[in-house]
Amino acid sequence: MNSLMIKALAFAVVLILATVVVVKGMNIDLSDPVNMVTILGAIAIAIISAGVVTKYIGQMKTDKSTGELADEKWDGIGEYKNELPSGWAFSFLGTIIWALWYWLAGYPLNAYSQIGEYNEETKAYNAKFEATFANPDQATLTAMGESVFLVQCAPCHGETADGLSGKAQDLTNRMSKEQVLDVIAKGSNQLGYPMGAMPPMLATGADAEAIATYVAGGMQGTAPAAFATCVACHGADGKGNNGAAPNIAEYDDAVVSHVLQNGKKGAIGAMPSFKTRLTPVQEKALSTYLQTL
Amino acid sequence: MFHWLEKNPFFFAVGVFVVIAFAGLIEILPNFAEASRPVAGLKPYTVLELAGKNVYKKDNCIACHSQLIRPFKSETDRYGQYSLSGEYAYDRPFLWGSKRTGPDLHRVGNYRTTDWHENHMMDPKSVVPQSIMPAYKHMFTNLADIDTAYAEALTVKKLFATPYDAPNGTPLGTHDEAKAAALEEAKAIAADMKNQSVKDAVANGQIPEIVAIIAYMNRLK
Repeated sequence: MNSLMIKALAFAVVLILATVVVVKGMNIDLSDPVNMVTILGAIAIAIISAGVVTKYIGQMKTDKSTGELADEKWDGIGEYKNELPSGWAFSFLGTIIWALWYWLAGYPLNAYSQIGEYNEETKAYNAKFEATFANPDQATLTAMGESVFLVQCAPCHGETADGLSGKAQDLTNRMSKEQVLDVIAKGSNQLGYPMGAMPPMLATGADAEAIATYVAGGMQGTAPAAFATCVACHGADGKGNNGAAPNIAEYDDAVVSHVLQNGKKGAIGAMPSFKTRLTPVQEKALSTYLQTL
Repeated sequence: MFHWLEKNPFFFAVGVFVVIAFAGLIEILPNFAEASRPVAGLKPYTVLELAGKNVYKKDNCIACHSQLIRPFKSETDRYGQYSLSGEYAYDRPFLWGSKRTGPDLHRVGNYRTTDWHENHMMDPKSVVPQSIMPAYKHMFTNLADIDTAYAEALTVKKLFATPYDAPNGTPLGTHDEAKAAALEEAKAIAADMKNQSVKDAVANGQIPEIVAIIAYMNRLK
């Protein structure tokens, strides 16, 4: 054993002792595998360093240069014609093989894509949403409807859904007298109900007035005679014959869904279509919320 | 050969540059060429929409509003489909913005309407009570600069071959034809508005800025 080896061993021992002192001093919890592995790694590094340093410094001290010199000399400094070290050559070949794989398969098949991440995020979210709200109860629907309303609807209809003094539909009320008169005068073919278009001018003058007052008043009391024109499609109770025509008595799931899908242009102004922006459950929630107003 | 390169550092540098530049070209160019193409169905702005876009720039809407929806669930839930670079092909310049004091506007035409914009520009708090956006009442009286908008459209048509007057493109025509078309478009918007002085101005052949900016907002889909 020469002096170099002793020095290296002494250095390794110092490093290991220092590691142990630090571990004690910092009260590191060695039952945690990560900490344990780190400590073992530190000790291994100390021992391997000592071994490697001993070997190569010893070699530098004792080895003599041999071999054939290359023809070129640079300012008197020559170069041996040595073979490539085999480890170096094999790693070089390895990187070439890896590069081919990476170029043809690794990158094209595994590259990060922001849109891909978005698609996965959306898919996972939708699956979770559908699982969570497969059979929502009334309270869940109302709460969901309120939050959807505040984000998507409140900017136009107002946070209390009152239509901001006539700037949009007042959702606490089905229809105003002006709106009923407007629909009677212009007809309507916007909502895509099975019954199809409502022709304009089915009622005029006093008849139209009477219908409008009756419908806007929440269909209380006896219907005026002229309302018979409306009954054929909207039903005697105004509820739209089970979804064949719009419910003019109150908001129901069908009317909310039809307006969201098709948009609407009425006496007040236009509402854009919200097609694809809400899921069926969200539409149902919105309609549930509107019915609580 | 390698010894020769080692002895000629200048040509070595040129070789390194060529290799790296080639790698850059094959990575960047194909992607760029595809992404910068207009998306299917995209049409250049009409003159009135361009005039509205100029109002948007002039009143510095970009300081508070972005026009770029990022591909995150939270953003697409609120604003709609994430933005594609091909959608900005006819935007010179694009108005992506980098600040969202207010909401993103890239698809505002999908969920706001002419009458909403009218109320909102006159008094933002009347429709959004917590809004901190200032009112833009001057838009109701200032007239939109249709001539500049026409000049802009004509320039990009001639310089960049933007498909004006092309099949399935946007008609542009002569200066007078373009002004008449802009007025027709303005009339359709004014018909959905309530403000009487704006309606009167449009009926008299003038186009207030509010009509142009609404045309631009409705176009953002």
